[in-house]
Amino acid sequence: MAVLRPFDKLPTLNSGTLLLVGPDEALRQQLAETILQEKRDFNISIHLATSLPLPSERDHLRPRIDLIVFMIDIKSKYSLKKVECSLAHVDASFFLGKVCFLVTGVGKVNACSIEMNAVCKLGEAYCSPMLFCELELEDTRVATAQRLVRMLRICAGHIPGVSALSFVSLMRKSDDN
Amino acid sequence: MQRRRSSRARKQPLHAHHKSQNDLSAWQKGGTIHSEKSLQSHQSANDQKYDSEGESLEQALSYFEKVQDCAALKKKSVPQKHLDAVESTALKHGLPPEGFEILLHVVLSGKFADTVNIRLLKSLIPASVIPEDSVVKAVSWLCVSKCSGNVELLFLKWMITMFDFIDHKEQLHALYGIFFSFLQDERMCPYICHLLYLLTRKEHVKPFRIRRLLELQARMGMQSHLQALLSLYKLFCPEQVTITLPGKMKTYFKNSEGPWKAAITAIRQKNQGPSSLFQTVFLGTAQPQSRKRKWNAQLVIPASSANTNNLEEDREKKCLYLYSTNESFPLEQLHTFPQLLQNIHCLEFPSQMGSVITNPLLLHYMNCVRDESIYLRLYYWMGQMLQEECTWCMVNNPYEEEFKSFLQTVYKAECFLQEGFSACEEFLYKTLPLWDGFCCRSEVLGLLSWIPLSSFSDIKSYLYDPLAQLFFTSSIYFKCSVLESLKELLQNWLNCNAIQVDLESSSLNTTLSGLVNGVAELVRFVGWISTVGLRLENNSTLLLYFTLDFYETVCDMYLKYNLPLLIMLPAGVFYPALLSMDSVNLNQLCYIMYRYRTNLVAAKENELCKKQMLQFKFSDQTYKVYNQYIIAMVGCLWTSSAFQKDIHPQGLRMDDELLSKTAVKELKNSFNIVYHPAMMGYSIQFLQQLCPDDTTFNFRLIKGKKWNWYLEYLYTQGLKGLKVFIESSISRVSQDSWSKAGNVEA
Repeated sequence: MAVLRPFDKLPTLNSGTLLLVGPDEALRQQLAETILQEKRDFNISIHLATSLPLPSERDHLRPRIDLIVFMIDIKSKYSLKKVECSLAHVDASFFLGKVCFLVTGVGKVNACSIEMNAVCKLGEAYCSPMLFCELELEDTRVATAQRLVRMLRICAGHIPGVSALSFVSLMRKSDDN
Repeated sequence: MQRRRSSRARKQPLHAHHKSQNDLSAWQKGGTIHSEKSLQSHQSANDQKYDSEGESLEQALSYFEKVQDCAALKKKSVPQKHLDAVESTALKHGLPPEGFEILLHVVLSGKFADTVNIRLLKSLIPASVIPEDSVVKAVSWLCVSKCSGNVELLFLKWMITMFDFIDHKEQLHALYGIFFSFLQDERMCPYICHLLYLLTRKEHVKPFRIRRLLELQARMGMQSHLQALLSLYKLFCPEQVTITLPGKMKTYFKNSEGPWKAAITAIRQKNQGPSSLFQTVFLGTAQPQSRKRKWNAQLVIPASSANTNNLEEDREKKCLYLYSTNESFPLEQLHTFPQLLQNIHCLEFPSQMGSVITNPLLLHYMNCVRDESIYLRLYYWMGQMLQEECTWCMVNNPYEEEFKSFLQTVYKAECFLQEGFSACEEFLYKTLPLWDGFCCRSEVLGLLSWIPLSSFSDIKSYLYDPLAQLFFTSSIYFKCSVLESLKELLQNWLNCNAIQVDLESSSLNTTLSGLVNGVAELVRFVGWISTVGLRLENNSTLLLYFTLDFYETVCDMYLKYNLPLLIMLPAGVFYPALLSMDSVNLNQLCYIMYRYRTNLVAAKENELCKKQMLQFKFSDQTYKVYNQYIIAMVGCLWTSSAFQKDIHPQGLRMDDELLSKTAVKELKNSFNIVYHPAMMGYSIQFLQQLCPDDTTFNFRLIKGKKWNWYLEYLYTQGLKGLKVFIESSISRVSQDSWSKAGNVEA
């Protein structure tokens, strides 16, 4: 399947699946490990990819993906381009709350090569929240991992009364109203 | 005339041309402590290393000195080892004051190639102070323009960066006119403007200078550096600068610190230990706090006004300073409040405004003085510091602890002044979207609570949106902290209004309706995020506690803070609190409802009396919602009728069949304060005291007289909120008829 769809598979019991997409392998790996070290009461499985589409051979083995996190490094234009290309392979209904952009490298503002504006516009265009962090520092990495786990919990449907869509609509800019 | 430089060198008077062995070695061995004993210990510890480095530095300096005397040399190649010696000493320890004159002379006289000059300039890092004479001579070389343009620019940048290290500045102030004349050079203009900004005093603002600046502006267009200087001029002499300038801009000057910043911090770090990054900026206040301060004494610049002298200097030297007007009180001697009161007419702010925020006396002074320029200077300095040292925006900065303590200091100063700094406000707006919610959390949330209320309508997108996103995705403790700081923010806004009787004098120019709108928006925002937060955290007790704490302030806004605003709590907070499992929250809710009642009744009375023209009419919706809540509450706590009678659209109303399915016996009596889950513990304890040997808890016993006893018991257990609520909102039939009815039922 070339396109990722959110509801074409059944969910697994008491678990959530996260897909991390981003060109920087080391950072992805680190973040994944930090997430798995978090205390939680449900199973988390993390899939890593440099870009989409995912290889279709293993598609039947893959569980349903609850949250896709696109990692953009603010220091490299290449990562933004890659992410933009990958976005085309995601079904539109994923963007109803199951996608989030993680912008890393905000600590080195002097080394920014992409405009903050461009990144924010991307988030607005795809109606998905934008989290900023600096993954090279351990404490921030842990804090970010906790936030992602909380979002994953909501996207996997573990919080009664709060759906992914309602959650993401809470975080939209108020001047859209 | 012999100038005495720092107290450290007072034993060896410095003659510019006497490069004797003694001076430099004395500097090395003297280390950074005065006493003889430590001299020796220092010496023995680092002798060998210092000696070899010192020697090579000496050689380098003497070489450069000789070179400058031979006027005929052109483009001679400098032995590499001298350059290396200078660089390595500079980067490790900083250069001694004597070295500056020689090296500046060499650099600016253009004897060597640009590369050499640039390397030398980049290593001009002071170990302690920079003698003013050397800078003055360097400026005179600048006028001759023997060196290349790039070197000139770098020199200006160097001067700006090292401005605080220059020990005295009287002569530099005297050279103001010379610096001003450099403005015509377009390349130098931004840096000259920055330098003039640091040097300007009121007496420098002259009409011909203003005209010159305006001409430049007309020629070059609206440049931020020209604007900065003009704004400063305008502050000093508003009647002379008649053009309108836009409000405060974000940053006026480009950061010139680049090449030296790392080296300066490294040296400071080395000499002082980790926690004193900002101490060089702060005035040595009252008593040196710890031994660490004394150790830093060398690097603490007496950041005081030009009229303040080194205490050992001769007093009569003051008459030499061309621009000194009255003798002003030296700030280092300001230790006590009576001193402040006595000298309040002759105090001058230090040239480094940052030192004000740690000094409570100067903060007092700042409060009384109606001088806009000090706010501008403080604004500029603070903005620059916050932007540069922000740890989550600048990951190369390992000094998170120091940044935290800096934020804490700023917060304390704000608490002292009881108002926020606009530089802080802008810093928060800029960095909140990028914040991860973790770094310096309590400090940032503290600063958040001092954001001033303004009619700035974009507060929503700058503050509320990023805060909401962080709130929803972060932990429960973060949520609680945010609610607490928003409560403090609300209180600060309300207090400001209460204090400022005369709103015209407020610098924010907010009208009453502006205040009401701002507060209303904040309360609605908190209502929204707390409703969602409670849903996300499954009605956690802790979160509910903080939410109700916020509403405790809200419910009393009309009477306590005299603000004509009444906002009820949202249903998403009311119902979880009403049905909560713990008595603290229930008690708090009762108290809040009691206060709401008092406020609403008072508002209604004022309306009905029509004593004054009411600008704000309260909508009936507020009263309606209150009535619905009261019905639900009394039903839950007293009459067991909540499930039948609650008319709130998000309320507890249930159909009779559904209610009967719950299989609760005696529906009409089973939902009151005896059976409420939060109060169960109390009723059990009460029964235990009533019938100690009865192990079956027969709650039916609590009626009639015993009901009153039960109420009394609850009140003694600290449930004061419940008490005031029941007394105010529940009218009971007389005691006698109750007891009769009670007996009949039994």
